[in-house]
Amino acid sequence: MKNLLEHTGIEPGRLHFSWISSAESTKFVDVVKKITEEVKALAETKKYVKTSTQG
Amino acid sequence: MTAYTDKIRQIASKLLTEGKVDMVIGFRKGSIPMMNQPLFIKTPGEAQELIWDSHCALNLANYVTNRKEKIGIVAKGCDSRNLVTHIIENKITREQLHIIGVPCTGMVDRHKVSAMIEAEITAIEESGDSIKISGNGFSKELKKTEVLQENCAGCTHRNPVIYDELVGELVPEQSGVDPYASVREVESMSPEEKWNYFEDLISNCIRCYACRNACPLCYCPTCFVDESRPQWVGKSQDPTDVRTFHLLRAYHCAGRCSDCGACERACPMGIKVREFTKKLNKDCLELYGWEAGLTVDARPALDTFKADDPQDFIK
Amino acid sequence: MNLIQIDAQSWAKGIEKLKAVYRTFGPKKEKNDLEFKELQAGELPELHFQNTRMSPKALVYPQTQAMFTYSLDESREDCRILKEVKRDEKPQAAIGIRPCDALAFKLVQRNFDSREYQDVYWINAYEATTLVGLACDHPCSTCFCTSAGTGPFGEEGLDVLLIQQNDTLYAKAITQKGESLIQAAGWKSAAAKDAAGNMDALKTKAESEISAFVETDKLKQKKIMEIYEAPFWEAETFSCINCGTCTFVCPTCWCFDIQDETHGKSGVRMRNWDTCMSPLFTIHASGHNPREHKYERVRQRFMHKLKYYVDKYNDGIQCVGCGRCIRSCPVNIDIRKICNKMNSFDPQSCSCEVASS
Repeated sequence: MKNLLEHTGIEPGRLHFSWISSAESTKFVDVVKKITEEVKALAETKKYVKTSTQG
Repeated sequence: MTAYTDKIRQIASKLLTEGKVDMVIGFRKGSIPMMNQPLFIKTPGEAQELIWDSHCALNLANYVTNRKEKIGIVAKGCDSRNLVTHIIENKITREQLHIIGVPCTGMVDRHKVSAMIEAEITAIEESGDSIKISGNGFSKELKKTEVLQENCAGCTHRNPVIYDELVGELVPEQSGVDPYASVREVESMSPEEKWNYFEDLISNCIRCYACRNACPLCYCPTCFVDESRPQWVGKSQDPTDVRTFHLLRAYHCAGRCSDCGACERACPMGIKVREFTKKLNKDCLELYGWEAGLTVDARPALDTFKADDPQDFIK
Repeated sequence: MNLIQIDAQSWAKGIEKLKAVYRTFGPKKEKNDLEFKELQAGELPELHFQNTRMSPKALVYPQTQAMFTYSLDESREDCRILKEVKRDEKPQAAIGIRPCDALAFKLVQRNFDSREYQDVYWINAYEATTLVGLACDHPCSTCFCTSAGTGPFGEEGLDVLLIQQNDTLYAKAITQKGESLIQAAGWKSAAAKDAAGNMDALKTKAESEISAFVETDKLKQKKIMEIYEAPFWEAETFSCINCGTCTFVCPTCWCFDIQDETHGKSGVRMRNWDTCMSPLFTIHASGHNPREHKYERVRQRFMHKLKYYVDKYNDGIQCVGCGRCIRSCPVNIDIRKICNKMNSFDPQSCSCEVASS
């Protein structure tokens, strides 16, 4: 999934996969922080945003 | 390859005479150059209609999905790999099939040949490795190797992987070919360049879905683009919807695609739709050592779990 | 007839003048093939070609067309009220359209501009369009226009006919709209006296180059149900993959589907080309599909063009012989063959003949 999306132009860092157990609360916080930072750094995406139906 | 024609007719006629099959699926000569038409025959007398040349590039596995008859089917390497996938996915049983295997030396790229000449090509003849095209006031000799479909030029499974009989000697498999050169080219681009490359690639798509429908893998009773509850993807020419179709079509073929090239050949607009599927084929090979449709004894890469499957993508 | 002669220089000048008055479209090279596209400043329409890959029907009838917008925001006064989308109905000109494609607009007009229904989208766009035809001097081997109601020099549906001889173009105004366009372009040098005769000779020559034909004389007298139930459909449609290529490239296919697309609280009602090749075309909300099998869908396309239309309008087939569906079909379904089969079908003597086809 990630590979083809990135191959077709989605920036690495936009899509993340993680496995977090319900017992790993600190990992959850870390992962969410990391994702938020990385996605923020990439700024708002213009890709896969459909404008034709936004009235 | 044209010499196979007689043998195919002979086998088809024999199968039908002996009642071993109810029908034989093959190709007949098309009404315009470079286009042969898939057909079925049910009587030995019709066997004369069957032919073989370098324009039999569609994938005949597409025509046996869910059929109930006993079928004789003409199959080159890629067709046979899709028959294997069909058998694994219960779209047909091995017992229903009598596979007439065709060792293949590649198919001519109709888009490429048409693009080489401004005028209309009204006739095409082949003998051995040479292809002669002609039209009003011109005639040109080409080497078949120059005008092969891209998937054929990089093919490493030209011989059928399963068959009941062959129409000729097995051909040597190609070595040293690089089927993924264009994937690597795209891989070396920046995300922006990649995005634009694919935007341009599909910019003239008319959403006729010929790529999907020519593909033996696309047999869902209702395709995701045709679902309305929920409607996964819009039906307009909005570029986001067009791209979503192409992307998801490719995903649905992941680990199942034999790179037969039927999608690309079928496209009326000449779009290189294999640029999507090829990346997944390359990943399947590199990550799982998997090539689709080589044996009925193994489950496809995305259908199995092994403890040592790569999982670097999960952080 | 009043022939006007246009040399290369006044051609280029005239096209630029037209761009000030009309949105000007013409065949342009697009990825190895020609398509009708708007001509930008300095661009001339390509005049040496057989035909464009897609038909020019999209100039009047785009594949996707927004009709209305709406809001679902309860706090707004116009909540759930459809608002018409503003359309650009500035005059447009299609330069270099083939006579077959021009006639196609006339055929399609029967559907969009009838006594019962007037489709303002189509009608307004059509009325805003001036069709400048280009006579075919080298028809394709798949062209069968002369047996489909027109010809390489056919004039019906055109406003102007252009004829090319060597480097000179000759223009003939056919309608008032055409006269206005020629005036706007500033083309006025009358052709030499013998030009008309030369044009007739070119016409005869081009017509003689047409090598493909369909037989349509008996379609009208056939019984609908007999052709409908003819045994050849299953075999003839076997190769069909039910893509929409034939219907999308066809200049006379007019079917569309209306969709609402909502994004958050706002949305658009649009129409898109539809295709009778798709199961979705006829599937009912209950899940029942009256055209469940692919042969039924392919049969529908041919029955519509070659029988229902023939019966309803009594003016020939709903096909202009452009040959696009033959050239573009990925699996070589050939309308010429199907048409001839339908025309010659004889339910009394067919069973054996059909079994072997």
